Amino acid sequence: MSNMNRRKFLRTTGGVALATGATLAAPSLANAAAGGKVVIVGGGVGGATTARYLKLGNPDIDVTLIEPKASYHTCFMSNEVIGGVRSLSQIEQTYDGLIKMGVKVMKDSVTGIDAAKKTVTTKSGSKLSFERCVVAPGIDFKVDEFASVGAFDKIPHAWKAGPQTALLRKQLEAMPDGGTVCLVAPTNPFRCPPGPYERTSLIASYLKQHKPKSKVVVIDRKDKFSKMNLFIQAWKDLYGYGTDNSMIEWRSGTSVGSIEAISATDMRVETLGGGTETFDVINYIPPQKAGVIAATIGLTNAGGWCDVDKTTFESKVHKGVHVLGDASVATKMPKSGYSANSQGKVCAAAIVNMLAGQPVGMPSYINTCYSIAGKDYGFSVTAVYRYSAEGDIIAGVEGAGGLSPMDASAEMRRREVEFAHSWYNNICKDTWG
Amino acid sequence: MANILSMGVLFGLMGLSSAHASEAQASMLANTCNGCHGPNGVSQGPATPTIAGLNKFYLVESLKTYRDDANRPSTIMSRIAKGYSDAEIEKIAGHFSSLPFGRVAMQKTDEALAAKGKVLIKDLCESCHEKEGYAAEDYPVLAGQMLPYLRNNLMDFESGLRSIDANPNMSKKEKRKKKRILAELKDKHGAEGVEAVLQFFASRK
Repeated sequence: MSNMNRRKFLRTTGGVALATGATLAAPSLANAAAGGKVVIVGGGVGGATTARYLKLGNPDIDVTLIEPKASYHTCFMSNEVIGGVRSLSQIEQTYDGLIKMGVKVMKDSVTGIDAAKKTVTTKSGSKLSFERCVVAPGIDFKVDEFASVGAFDKIPHAWKAGPQTALLRKQLEAMPDGGTVCLVAPTNPFRCPPGPYERTSLIASYLKQHKPKSKVVVIDRKDKFSKMNLFIQAWKDLYGYGTDNSMIEWRSGTSVGSIEAISATDMRVETLGGGTETFDVINYIPPQKAGVIAATIGLTNAGGWCDVDKTTFESKVHKGVHVLGDASVATKMPKSGYSANSQGKVCAAAIVNMLAGQPVGMPSYINTCYSIAGKDYGFSVTAVYRYSAEGDIIAGVEGAGGLSPMDASAEMRRREVEFAHSWYNNICKDTWG
Repeated sequence: MANILSMGVLFGLMGLSSAHASEAQASMLANTCNGCHGPNGVSQGPATPTIAGLNKFYLVESLKTYRDDANRPSTIMSRIAKGYSDAEIEKIAGHFSSLPFGRVAMQKTDEALAAKGKVLIKDLCESCHEKEGYAAEDYPVLAGQMLPYLRNNLMDFESGLRSIDANPNMSKKEKRKKKRILAELKDKHGAEGVEAVLQFFASRK
């Protein structure tokens, strides 16, 4: 069936479903748009992909996307900005593409969602009704004893891209040669599992070229991390890792013991294992939870994340409200941009069918995460997933996926960088149009 | 009214996870590829190839070769292709082959080299990659494909990593012809000739 036929088909069946809804006298459907009404909270990868694929699935669905920022800076590839090989504007995405295809983009903040009455309220005082609501708020930081919100002006997290990314870059540029950068890596689970280590690599790459007497110290809260062997091999190949002149020092959670204090005022970090140390730049990446709106409306579990039906991303707490991307528990998909993009398509397809009164189709998901460890030096992890009712997980297909091989040639490592850059362009186009 | 409402509830529930169709639709499977290959399989570049508008047979062959044997080198596709059954590969290939091959990436190409390539491909390439590489019926489209991708593949043909001999879908005669042409391009026209052919195909809009 061609796209056009499928659209016509959905439009027709959507009409039938609406008539059924009207006879049932459900008030929210009585004055609904022809294809149904969906409100999306958050214009990151998850929200924007859902918006785009809802419109592709059925252009008659009335889609409103609410996002406080005028444009979105992607967290992925922001490490290239920090490493000085990409500009901030090269990770900026606008909403023009979504607007062009008929998505109503509202620059506003959502203050509440009433799942029973099916309404969303915003900071500016708007109240919108919906048949289905999609909440894609990304991450927020767990409040801990180390960093108050104000401290991030001095010791940036740079884990939500934009001004924080620019700030960390500026601090690296201002640091004298011979300085030491400290990156405090978060506890699991967190957005972009290989991200702190890619960042470590690209900071080292910048220092190697411009401030060769400097180094990066990673204070980790874990004993192992994503793509660990590949990163360590890259650090040995590129930054003298393991030698006296290593530009990178990685400290495991066990060797750190515990973090006793992090002070933005005097740029001090105190750990059980390392005592009191001062650094020139501190990149503090705190432990994470779902974006605050999720907790405000009661979507989160004890860990701070949102439990969902993994085939539709409908909340297990509030029916009619879907949560996807970093904020959701999508075990075993990692919290990544690609996961959010893939989940957005699954969620959109489910909603298109639900609004049309059709059964939801069988989902299929992919994740691919590229990491760039230096010039012409890239590697990846990938998985093809299917839903497994046994254990209620999004399970990787056995025998598929996995890491780039440890013994890949230099040519293959170079190609992975080319593909990483292509991936950036393609996934952004696929997400924001 | 109560009965009608409870029917409505049941009807609503049918839309939830309990009532999934047993197999994923072609669009559900294929849309997951767009994250890397671009919306509708049309790449924004610089390197990942456009997969829309290629003939279905070639797409099936590529995915199965990535999946099943070592004669098609890749960074990531061999890991991904292992996630799909024959039937799913048919669906994915059918989906992308039905979409148009778009040429949207702003590829920088060398005009003089491309002009030289235009002459070279007449004798060397066009008997298979017809209509200046735009034809998709029997062989993959080359016109407007990503330059690094084209270059990588010529490199792999030359090194033998992408094995023409091991291709199960080519006749002996076809294999001899392909190897003769690739050798002629390199031996007679040198590195500049190879680059000219690449630049010509990549420059097609």
